[in-house]
Amino acid sequence: MVELIKVSKEYPPDVVALKDISLSIGVGEMFFVIGMSGAGKTTLLKLLCSMETPTGGLIEISGKPIAQLRGYHLARLRQKIGVAYQDFKLLTDRTTAENIAISMEVSYKKPQIIKKRVRDLLDQLGLADKHDTITGELSRGEQQRVTLARAVANSPTMILVDEPTGNLDAITTERVMNLLNKCNKAGATIVIATHDDSIYRHTSHRVMELRRGRLHAVSGGLP
Amino acid sequence: MSFWFTVLRQVGRNLRQTWGSQLMTLLTVSLSVLIFAFFSLIYTNMINFGEKLGDDLSLIVYLEEEPGPELQQQLINKITTFDEVEKVRFISRTEAYERFARQLGENRDVLDDMPKDFLPPSIEVVPLKNLRSLNQVKLFSAYLSRLPGTLKVQYGQDWVERFYHFTRLLSIIVLLSGTLLILTTIFMVAYTIRLTILGRQAELELLKLVGATNNYIRTPFLLEGLLQGIVGSSLGIVSLYALFQWIKLRFSGPGFLNVFEFSFFPPAVSLSIVCVSILLCTLGSYSTMQKFLRI
Ligand SMILES: Nc1ncnc2c1ncn2[C@@H]1O[C@H](COP(=O)(O)OP(=O)(O)OP(=O)(O)O)[C@@H](O)[C@H]1O
Ligand SMILES: [Mg+2]
Repeated sequence: MVELIKVSKEYPPDVVALKDISLSIGVGEMFFVIGMSGAGKTTLLKLLCSMETPTGGLIEISGKPIAQLRGYHLARLRQKIGVAYQDFKLLTDRTTAENIAISMEVSYKKPQIIKKRVRDLLDQLGLADKHDTITGELSRGEQQRVTLARAVANSPTMILVDEPTGNLDAITTERVMNLLNKCNKAGATIVIATHDDSIYRHTSHRVMELRRGRLHAVSGGLP
Repeated sequence: MSFWFTVLRQVGRNLRQTWGSQLMTLLTVSLSVLIFAFFSLIYTNMINFGEKLGDDLSLIVYLEEEPGPELQQQLINKITTFDEVEKVRFISRTEAYERFARQLGENRDVLDDMPKDFLPPSIEVVPLKNLRSLNQVKLFSAYLSRLPGTLKVQYGQDWVERFYHFTRLLSIIVLLSGTLLILTTIFMVAYTIRLTILGRQAELELLKLVGATNNYIRTPFLLEGLLQGIVGSSLGIVSLYALFQWIKLRFSGPGFLNVFEFSFFPPAVSLSIVCVSILLCTLGSYSTMQKFLRI
């Protein structure tokens, strides 16, 4: 699904956020990226969804290098990748439902389908009563879940999740992980960046640790 | 289907969010359409008027001697080398005398003492009935006065010249107001759309991130420009029509305006003014998007 070959990212003037990362993530895999704050987790996800471009190396998704994608093809790729951003990127003057609907509207889903999917997701994430609340008025933990709901709503083939449980209690964390597992079972490739060890401690999936922009170790996964 | 649903909802949002400047643009567009259409209307009516006046226009070339048939043919040839003419007619001394006598009517006895050939012979030249020849009348008369054996050339010098200058001035005003129309529509529409875009930067950024295509993002703005064009220009034309009717009602009856028939644009012209404005507005929104909305 995803191939990274000696990928580096440098922010001007001289911040090296990622250095020589080579990595391959299979279709339908759930993959954890861990590391201290500032290790480069968010940067890695931004490169994967082509929000940022790498300063070195090559990124391929489904066998195609994504660096040259422009216009329509880039848009189509992004429709297939759902991203839950660490800083949420919610439209704080719109309701929860409208925020979640956006990712489906851009691929012209029918209004009835969108409505149903939104209710469904809000139920699963314990936000059913926030359907018509302006997202600016939600708590951070709630906003975090709305972001996640938006990321998975359009049933993308790849889901990138940045710190999905940072502001959540144990029970809500479990809800979130259940939703992600469900998406994974349905075939989506999932990449989770986190420092919450409760969600990857007992996992059978691969866990990659970044240290100051370099790949330190990859552990776990079935042989 | 869901494409248009989403697009229309987006347009609705844009209009609601920046309705103040939208209204300003709308007014500007309709005002410039109104100004332009107003002057073009006067201009076209003036031209019609000129054509009608041109119907009565003729140049009288007074000759020293009555030309024989051969010389007549020569003169006709010379006249037609300058320009096509509607009609050339020779008036002999006696014809001129009789005509004058007829014009005098009851008082014709004053002519009793005069010899029958005291009036000079002349040629009546009726130029083609279009404004081009009306404008050229001056040149034409200069040409005619250089023909051999001419005494002088006479026509309604005064009003022809004044009318000519007036239509020239009008055509300049029409050109200027047309330029104004083009500039205001393109720039005002571009400006409001830029305002909308800047006011929704966050949303547009997000839309790009979740995979909105250029079409998805741009169509609402294009539609907005289109809408400005349709509503703005129709408003302009309709208000001109209302103004026109009002003036007609106000000044009907005996008076200056009755000298000529004042008429509104034919529907095709109104329609093309509207269409051009729509085109311009859409162009305005398109140019802004090229600058500010790119994936
Ligand atoms: N836009 C940017 N401009 C300059 N430097 C940046 C930018 N974004 C990130 N960085 C730097 O790159 C490094 C990696 O940042 P990144 O956000 O990827 O860390 P992270 O692992 O996600 O951290 P956290 O766990 O706190 O979210 C940091 O040193 C950060 O300061
Ligand atoms: Mg981060």
